[in-house]
Amino acid sequence: MKTDNKTNSHVYWNPYFGGFLLGIIIIFTFYLTGRGLGASGAMKSSVVAIVDEVAPTHAENNAYYSKFISEEDTPMNTWLVFEALGVLIGAFISGGLAGRIRWRVQHSPKITSKRRLVFALGGGIMFGLGAQIARGCTSGAALSGMAVLSTGGFITMLAIFGSAYAFAYFFRKNWI
Amino acid sequence: MGPLIPNGIISMEWDSIIAIFIGICFGFVLESSGFSSSRKLAGVFYGYDFAVLKVFFTAAAVSVIGIYYMDYLGYLDVSQLYVHPTYLWGAIVGGIIMGVGFVAGGFCPGTSLCAVAIGKLDAWIYVLGIMVGVFIFSELYSFFEPIYDGDFLGNITLMDSFNWNPYWIIFGFSIIAVVAFAVSDMVRKRVKKIFY
Amino acid sequence: MVKKTVAKVLSFRYKILALILVLLAGGLVVLPKYQKQKGIKSEQLLSNAISPERYISTDQLADKIINQDPSFILIDVRDEDSYNNYSLPNALNIPLQNLLDQDFEGYLNQNQFDVIFYSNDNFYADQAWVLCDRLGYKNLRVLNGGINKWFTTIINPTEPTETMSTEEYKLYSTRKAASMFFGVMYPDQMTAEDSNLNVPVPKKVITVKKKKKRAAEGGC
Repeated sequence: MKTDNKTNSHVYWNPYFGGFLLGIIIIFTFYLTGRGLGASGAMKSSVVAIVDEVAPTHAENNAYYSKFISEEDTPMNTWLVFEALGVLIGAFISGGLAGRIRWRVQHSPKITSKRRLVFALGGGIMFGLGAQIARGCTSGAALSGMAVLSTGGFITMLAIFGSAYAFAYFFRKNWI
Repeated sequence: MGPLIPNGIISMEWDSIIAIFIGICFGFVLESSGFSSSRKLAGVFYGYDFAVLKVFFTAAAVSVIGIYYMDYLGYLDVSQLYVHPTYLWGAIVGGIIMGVGFVAGGFCPGTSLCAVAIGKLDAWIYVLGIMVGVFIFSELYSFFEPIYDGDFLGNITLMDSFNWNPYWIIFGFSIIAVVAFAVSDMVRKRVKKIFY
Repeated sequence: MVKKTVAKVLSFRYKILALILVLLAGGLVVLPKYQKQKGIKSEQLLSNAISPERYISTDQLADKIINQDPSFILIDVRDEDSYNNYSLPNALNIPLQNLLDQDFEGYLNQNQFDVIFYSNDNFYADQAWVLCDRLGYKNLRVLNGGINKWFTTIINPTEPTETMSTEEYKLYSTRKAASMFFGVMYPDQMTAEDSNLNVPVPKKVITVKKKKKRAAEGGC
């Protein structure tokens, strides 16, 4: 980490600076739209759209999909999908400026890429499931919820970080 | 008087454009803070990098202070903002499952999108996993419904739950944040350095 | 020397930042609280109230109704009995005690139409005007003189005496014509217009588009 800043593409912003800017963005989001940020909502919309495309009657009959399907509009036309597109663009710009864009699997040197990918898939499934049960992920429920002092936001935040610390021991080989 | 779009000051047509713009800023800041790196994110659970905690708490403190100042000065009406609804057991159970997913996969949905944008294959798999998770949830919705819809307490805030003064909550929250920063720095000094 | 002090300050920079954060948060606690005022300021209300613009005369109103001007809504703020007894064509009855009901907000709080309040005289209509103006609603008017003046000027205009000017005569004849429009019979017109008299004025349907006030939504 202490190598030359110009050659090391893994030098990131000061976390306090990043946090400050993120806070300003959240304020702006609330000021403009009255709602917070989110991320997993876009993935939910994608799943609903795919299922609706592949098996429309099944989507119609399922109590959960049918909440997000309307006759005249596709499930993709929501605020969160556009916001997620913006996240992709913004991250691409930032990564491009810092020279971090390239295809690779990032993992600890002690494990293989395959193991990393398997755990990523498993973690993703768990997170997708949990985010639906809690109606939001770290950005939607915890971060935006905390900005308006929502009780649910604080509970979700404590539950996420509490259980992550509790289970961190079992996954230590993956990271350190 | 904000919020601008729900009050009709900016027309609804701008909604999607503003969404993309806010998303760009959000993605840029997340990526620049290093949230596209799963090993950096996971560091918070093993004590070798506290970027997540610092960014997360700074953002929450800054935003809540800013929102309440804007409310005080009359630019923003806090009562009109969307408050995340509280489903007690849904939040706890969902949070616990998300916590396991977080430490296993090393991302949360927002950060995984950032990593997708810069070509991390593990993030692509992770996003695929999230979509599979959503799919499983939807298919087994009748099984999850009691948790999903149970114990609905309304769109409540801490003020409603504990009858605290919001300003004292914010003050307490920022003290907690500062203490957490100090503790995290102390912990980091004791933990073995890990380069990634 | 300066460099040294700068370096000294910089070594404390996180402590300073933390202090700023806590101070800002503490500022919220310390700041004096005040009751937030909803709607427009008192000074603005006063200047609106003394402006003659907020009145519409009975002649203007009669003219608007006869020409089927679509740009206004009539609001009768009297009680329901008086409204059923007699009211202006196409008026909407919102008794004063129901003025702030949710159902009527769509009619009052919009930018599409002029809202014209009236009661028997100015009194209740003025109160309705003040209440709505205070809430920041736009395009509010009061019918000057209310129904009473409507009767004395439009429905039953006083015939000018011989000494009056030609303008008075002109006004009288327009008022007389207007009153015929509203169904008053004059002996000299009786035979000719008999068949038309009972034809009601076509009911104008007012559809007020509710002002877009979407509740903020979220969800991840």
